[in-house]
Amino acid sequence: MIKIARLFLALVLVFLYLPIIVMAAMGFNASPLYALPFDFTTHWYQELAGNGRLIEAGWNSIWLAVLTAVIATALGTLAALALWRRTFRGRSILRILLLPPIAIPWLITGTAMLVFFFWTGIGRGLHAMLIGHVALAIPYVVLVVGTGLQTLRADLEEAAMSLGSTPIHAFFRVTLPLLLPSIVGAALFAFAVSLDQFVISYFLSVPGMTTLPVEIYSAIRKGFTPEINAISTILLVASMIIILGFARFARPGGIGERS
Amino acid sequence: MPPEASAAGLPATRRRMPSWLATAALLLPSYAWLTLAVLLPLAAMFAFSFLHATPLGNKPVVWTLEQYRAFYDQPYLLGVAWASLSIGLWTTGICAVVGFAAALALVRATAGRARETLLILVLLPFWTNGLVRVFSWTMVIREGGFLDVFVRWFWPSAPSLGFLYTTPAIVLGLVHGYLPYMVLTCYIALLSVDEAVIEAAQSLGARWWTVLFKILVPLAAPGLVTGAILIFVPVIGAFMEPRILGGRVGVTMGTVIEDQFTQAFNWPLGSALAFTMLAVVLAVFATFSGVLRRSATT
Amino acid sequence: MSGVDVTAVAKNYGATKVLTDITQNFESGTFTSLLGPSGSGKTTLLRIIAGFVAPDEGAVRIAGADVTGVPVHARNIGMVFQSYALFPHMSVAANVGFGLGRRGIRGKAAKAQVDEALEMVRLPGFGGRYPRQLSGGQQQRVALARAIVIRPDVLLLDEPLSALDRRLRQEMQVELLRIQRESGLTTIFVTHDQEEALTLSDKVAILDRGRIVQMGRPAEVYERPRTRFAAEFLGDANFLTGKVRGSAVEIAGATIMTEDRLPAEGATVTLAVRPEKIAIRPAETARSGAVENSLPATVSSVIYTGTALTYMLRSGDLHLKVFAQNSDGSPLAAGSAVVLSWSARHSVMVEG
Ligand SMILES: Nc1ncnc2c1ncn2[C@@H]1O[C@H](COP(=O)(O)OP(=O)(O)OP(=O)(O)O)[C@@H](O)[C@H]1O
Ligand SMILES: [Mg+2]
Repeated sequence: MIKIARLFLALVLVFLYLPIIVMAAMGFNASPLYALPFDFTTHWYQELAGNGRLIEAGWNSIWLAVLTAVIATALGTLAALALWRRTFRGRSILRILLLPPIAIPWLITGTAMLVFFFWTGIGRGLHAMLIGHVALAIPYVVLVVGTGLQTLRADLEEAAMSLGSTPIHAFFRVTLPLLLPSIVGAALFAFAVSLDQFVISYFLSVPGMTTLPVEIYSAIRKGFTPEINAISTILLVASMIIILGFARFARPGGIGERS
Repeated sequence: MPPEASAAGLPATRRRMPSWLATAALLLPSYAWLTLAVLLPLAAMFAFSFLHATPLGNKPVVWTLEQYRAFYDQPYLLGVAWASLSIGLWTTGICAVVGFAAALALVRATAGRARETLLILVLLPFWTNGLVRVFSWTMVIREGGFLDVFVRWFWPSAPSLGFLYTTPAIVLGLVHGYLPYMVLTCYIALLSVDEAVIEAAQSLGARWWTVLFKILVPLAAPGLVTGAILIFVPVIGAFMEPRILGGRVGVTMGTVIEDQFTQAFNWPLGSALAFTMLAVVLAVFATFSGVLRRSATT
Repeated sequence: MSGVDVTAVAKNYGATKVLTDITQNFESGTFTSLLGPSGSGKTTLLRIIAGFVAPDEGAVRIAGADVTGVPVHARNIGMVFQSYALFPHMSVAANVGFGLGRRGIRGKAAKAQVDEALEMVRLPGFGGRYPRQLSGGQQQRVALARAIVIRPDVLLLDEPLSALDRRLRQEMQVELLRIQRESGLTTIFVTHDQEEALTLSDKVAILDRGRIVQMGRPAEVYERPRTRFAAEFLGDANFLTGKVRGSAVEIAGATIMTEDRLPAEGATVTLAVRPEKIAIRPAETARSGAVENSLPATVSSVIYTGTALTYMLRSGDLHLKVFAQNSDGSPLAAGSAVVLSWSARHSVMVEG
């Protein structure tokens, strides 16, 4: 019974990883038509280095993700402090309002942004994507930092104040250092959300101002070469590394509390 | 004596910001942003869904309910809705069976570090680019793709098994995309099932299938339901998977809505369809949140 | 006037009255325990003194200064938390030196004071460790050192020992008392544990539903409880309710004497008698004479605990409890007729 269960788990993992591995391998295969037998080459990666469009889209993606991470982490951390450390009327409603960006299908959110940004003159382009990405990332940041705050006992701040700290001093000397792992984790998470975001970017992009996923999508739709495999592999590995980093940081309680 | 004579050397008391002001200052940036980027757009889109046509130039604005009659006026949409629904149901169903089994295997057949590593391995693809993963499947299931090569290794004259551009291909891609959700929610639910309950059932003569269907499945029901909601909701709004894996047959509510915004430029119709879908999503949430609450209290 | 003065303090949370009209002086240099059942408002009162909670009404004075509107950080208090609340990202020395830093004491001077405080709590040389490398008892001592090193005007402790096991707890009680005596700090100590309160304190204050019903020296509060609640909460008591007849109280046909001043003839009063103050003898050997009060009764059950015996008895409609030493090893059987006797000064009149 145990053996069958383990075999089944192995099959599930094969199902999850096989296409990814095949895709990545094809990026190292010489045939532009994905023909086998396998003939190792880094040709497609070299091609990629000369593909201005993809490179530019890649930089756009990275800058967008960095800005999203910085803004969403700053704003979301402040909101988390209010939502988890203060009591006020309407707190639970405000927490529920975090859900729409997470729970409503991105197709709907994305088209709604398209309509609204067009209508108000904000328009489309990287700035519009930034507005959208930050909005998507804020709820995740609030939840990750909020969870961190929940495991961080409030009496530490009180202890600092009883020893003469002003609330602000207590925050910077006690809360912030202990919360830092959660905040770093939240930033990584926001970065990954933005880097992998396709739907919202797709609706808000204009030709010449796109991100990597949008560029990959149009390439897939129009006909592609193993170059797309190469860039996809890079994107995939980057996300995996970031998420593993997140898992390392955002443990409840952070580094300090653990023994 | 001055009030603070005793607190020698302590920072003097400055006027304190009223508490509500500090709270508002902390909350305002995030919620203003969310309002601008999500809530107002949704409201605007709702308003758009009552327009006769996309307001362009100086065409007069005409308010109407006609967009919500689309299913009646354009019967082919019913077929599309049915296709989307069945893709959603198949995806959710397959994810439920496979995900529950995988979670059960994780909980009952692994332990310690191995379990932790396996769980991370199962969840990791979920946090990578969905588009790239869908693209990966085209490498495997197209005619002459990896699947064919693999089969022809054993049976050189096998006919092509490639099934790219079919509905099963869409379901396959979606299952691949959303399976980790179900594994995670079922895993959490199964983890909390007390070992003693299972032993008690066995001591009363229950065989494994009785334990499975009378004990484990009911106790893990909240996990199954949560997973099902988390999968069904985005799946019926999917448009990129049907486009890439379904090709010509991949017409779903998602792609129809997308078309209204990117090709047909019929924003009012697209908005109305999107809000109809949102209504379905909310109905699903409402129905099952009742079920979840009941199971939480018993 | 130094020490801590609480004047007419009241606090409500919505409709719940948590504290009502608390007026109390905590004398300079004394060790006062706040004792009361769960939810009686002990923590709230302590946090009002500390400044974490603002009272709805009333004033708090610490060391003579009115601090009612002063935020926590500008009051010179030392607080020890139930969960210790040591900063996990700072060494023991940094934890203890934290409050000194806030007072502008740094460098050598701070180090000397930190070392002295660690010495006082018997943890010399532990400065370089981190809280997670300490046992529960050691963490508790660091928390105490951190609170006393700043020479606070008042030391506030909220059930600081409740997370420790029994043995460690007794050890820490002794330590705490020694440190308080050496430092001479005005100390307010919240506890659930009546034994702890009696052994440690100069004064015990009993809280009941947001009021201090009695405050005094432990022996005074124990021997002369003022209310039924105080008598019951601190120790055990038998309550005898009857009507005043002359200079005694008539209860279920018997006449019970007390040394307390009684109200007018015919008034209903309640007397409290501690179970260990009552002597129990078999009816046939009972002598009358020296004792003022005696009551015939029947043993309904005996609880045998080795060193001591607890008798549950009936006398008419009255149910009584008596503690006796197990001196001759042959407890009276259930059903035995006995005579209970006690001195008049042990019948204490209580309110309620
Ligand atoms: N922030 C708050 N909001 C609402 N009610 C509160 C709050 N803090 C305390 N209370 C209520 O005030 C009452 C007294 O609480 P407090 O914590 O002072 O009791 P306590 O005597 O310390 O009890 P314990 O021995 O259990 O610690 C309780 O009924 C409690 O529910
Ligand atoms: Mg308390």
